[in-house]
Amino acid sequence: MSASELLRIRDLSSAWAGVPVLRHVSLEVAEGEFLALMGPNGSGKTTLLRLIAGLDEPTGGSVELRGRDLVGVPAHRRGIGMLFQDAQLFPERSVWENVAYGPQIQRRPAAEVESLVTEMLELLRLRSLADRRPEELSGGERQRAALARTLAPGPSVVLLDEPFASVDAELRREMRAEFRRVLSARRTAAIFVTHDRDEGLFLGDRVAVLLDGELRQTGSPADVFEHPIDERVARFLGYNIVPAPAGPMAVDPSELTLARSGEPGVSAAVVARGWSPQGTGLLVRAADGSVWEVVLPKDEVGPPVGSTVQIRWQRGVPLATSLDRDRPHME
Amino acid sequence: MRRGVPGLGGLSPIVLYVVLFALLPPCLLFAEAWSSQGGAAGLSGVLADPLNRAALGNSLIQGALSSVVVVAIGYPAGVFLGRYSFSGREAILALFSVPFLLPSLVVVAGVEDLFGPSGFLSVPIPGLRALGSGLGGILLVNACFNLPLVALLTAVGVESSDPAREEAIAVLGGGPGRAYREVWGPPSWVGAGAGALLTFLFSSMAFAAPLIVCGPRCYTLEARIFTLDQQLVQPATAALLAMSAVALLAVPTAIYLLLVTRLRDRTPVGTARNRPIPWRRPVGWALAGATAVTVALVAAVAGAVAERALLAPSTGGAGLFSPALTQRLGISTSAALGNTMFFAAGAAGIAVLFGLLAGFVLRIRPSWSRPVQFLLFLPLLISPIILSFSLAEFWRPLLGGESTVWLLILLSQATLALPFATQSLWVGLRRVPASFGEGARLLGARPITAFLDTELPLARGALVSAALLAFALGLGEFTATYFLATPRFTTWTVELYRLQSLRDYAAADQLAFALLALSFVSFLGLLVGGRRVRL
Repeated sequence: MSASELLRIRDLSSAWAGVPVLRHVSLEVAEGEFLALMGPNGSGKTTLLRLIAGLDEPTGGSVELRGRDLVGVPAHRRGIGMLFQDAQLFPERSVWENVAYGPQIQRRPAAEVESLVTEMLELLRLRSLADRRPEELSGGERQRAALARTLAPGPSVVLLDEPFASVDAELRREMRAEFRRVLSARRTAAIFVTHDRDEGLFLGDRVAVLLDGELRQTGSPADVFEHPIDERVARFLGYNIVPAPAGPMAVDPSELTLARSGEPGVSAAVVARGWSPQGTGLLVRAADGSVWEVVLPKDEVGPPVGSTVQIRWQRGVPLATSLDRDRPHME
Repeated sequence: MRRGVPGLGGLSPIVLYVVLFALLPPCLLFAEAWSSQGGAAGLSGVLADPLNRAALGNSLIQGALSSVVVVAIGYPAGVFLGRYSFSGREAILALFSVPFLLPSLVVVAGVEDLFGPSGFLSVPIPGLRALGSGLGGILLVNACFNLPLVALLTAVGVESSDPAREEAIAVLGGGPGRAYREVWGPPSWVGAGAGALLTFLFSSMAFAAPLIVCGPRCYTLEARIFTLDQQLVQPATAALLAMSAVALLAVPTAIYLLLVTRLRDRTPVGTARNRPIPWRRPVGWALAGATAVTVALVAAVAGAVAERALLAPSTGGAGLFSPALTQRLGISTSAALGNTMFFAAGAAGIAVLFGLLAGFVLRIRPSWSRPVQFLLFLPLLISPIILSFSLAEFWRPLLGGESTVWLLILLSQATLALPFATQSLWVGLRRVPASFGEGARLLGARPITAFLDTELPLARGALVSAALLAFALGLGEFTATYFLATPRFTTWTVELYRLQSLRDYAAADQLAFALLALSFVSFLGLLVGGRRVRL
């Protein structure tokens, strides 16, 4: 484990009723790092967080925090914080009491608890809400209070399980900035789970893509987005997978266009046409059955549904060959 | 740092309690009787005895007939309460908890007051006398106890069905019959089935009703075991008959457990909220009629006891507390009240403590749900007489005789209340999301601290409900207490029976009314908490 390495996960596996949910996941998180763990619903993201937190037991593998093996250590002795999707503030307690809960459990002196809670409330701009009960808070305020409560005991790493899933789009942007600001100020490492590609790529110092219980790729947001390792990762990132002479290629929807007469292209049938903020959106079905998304310039109406068109692309990302495809890629 | 098996510390006292006070005593009693009576030959001999066979037959007939009667009326009533919204619905649901909280002797007294030789209803309508004695009287007492239970369990089943599925069937063109068959019928059958089995368990081993309303020709196994041990002094024969009774109850108990687990695993979604009663269709009237019959039965029995007590006494309450009566009974009514409250409160404390321990174990070890449930519901298999009989045989010699009778009464009441208090508590705890406790653990709280700090406060209503239910059950417990109690440890239910035996009906009516009032206080507690009995 290197000097800056905080959390190391090795070959972590889990199963539910005999069915594998996570398969040999290995991952590292450095001190102060913000890792975005991305994947579609049901890919095993929450399971991975629960295993790291000690809420569930793995069927194999290890979790080390600063070199200390955590397997077998109960959740309350791990020093890992976790923020749930729906905040789960204790409804019987005020915001102040919620934030004070962790330090009080640690039996810190009352004056220290007081000062710590005050600091947390100020950091998250909750001072005026200290006496309120959770049901008197808005969705965003509840999440901020939950983060304050999670950070108060001073965890080494914080696990954030889709914390913005239940807030509206406008508030989400605000909350992203707020969470990054606070975690950076505290220099606390975090694993942030999301199924939202844009959110993960925007927030993460590094991103990790988890698909069907396997960690397929980790790297910087730019690396992962520009060089998806295989078809599955590329599809999750929103690429169209198109055939090319050298093998399959990932092409961003904005790079697909309709071929003009005489230009080479791949034949496809238009199955749907609609409006999108970037322009007219088309869904076309290629001869191999795959469906691609095409975005036409705003001034183009596009061909009617049912018509056959020729599709071409400017550029794309060559994907790994079939031999490499099943081998997860790590930095 | 490696930890031991989480939850084992909480489970151990439960296992120890159930083994020592519910499992081991009957097993040793049966084993001893089996060996002393010549094994299978002895058992055959016991079952060949015409009186024992008659008791077995009575148990089966009374259990089966009671189940049929209560399901026939209780199922439609449960559907009505579970499916439709109307003002007074919550009050009726709360009222249906009353019989379960009533002492069996009070119900028997109520039925006699209505349909007995000088009953309110049988005097003007002599044809109704059949309901005040014999098999008719027993069925009516059993119905009074169990009809509301079947209705409540059916309502829980109906409420747990998914209204969205029903709406999906409707918009796809399916009629009410299809919605019933595919959506809300099956869970209602689970509820009614659980109620029917509980009725069978209670009725086949009834004690007070056959004893008072009918006499020896209607004795169930429970009454016959009591007679064999206490009056004919044949404990070994009584033990072998008790063994047969346990075998008889094993299958219905197992199926009841299965059904009630299914019922608890379904989350109530409250389908009744926005659905009006279909008064324009005959089915609406039929369902409302069944509910009205159930309400009338419960209200009439409780009202008859109250009215008889209020009308009868020319001596006021003085007779009940007179020195002459104290001399006849060997204990004053106020001392008996002290015993009653002590046993009921103690039993409630023990039952809730173990229910809480089990709740904690299940929060951190959900996979242990089935074995823990089996353990805590084991007492259902052991009737009050068998429990008190085996406790007396096993523990009385070890604990030192008569002076520890109080402990045996306390343990028997606690053991009998355990399944019901636990069930009531678990229903409340299941509604608290596990993430509250998990959140507290991630903030550094030990599992038990997390449970007490964050989960239990959210299940406070269920805790109060379980404690009141266990208290009320202890308050009304007659069979086991009667078997064990010496005059010094007499409770109000035992005193009531002795007053009836002494034909001091005025004092008996006053005491029945006082018991009714005590049960009513428990009922009010449940009502204030907006709770229902969960079985």
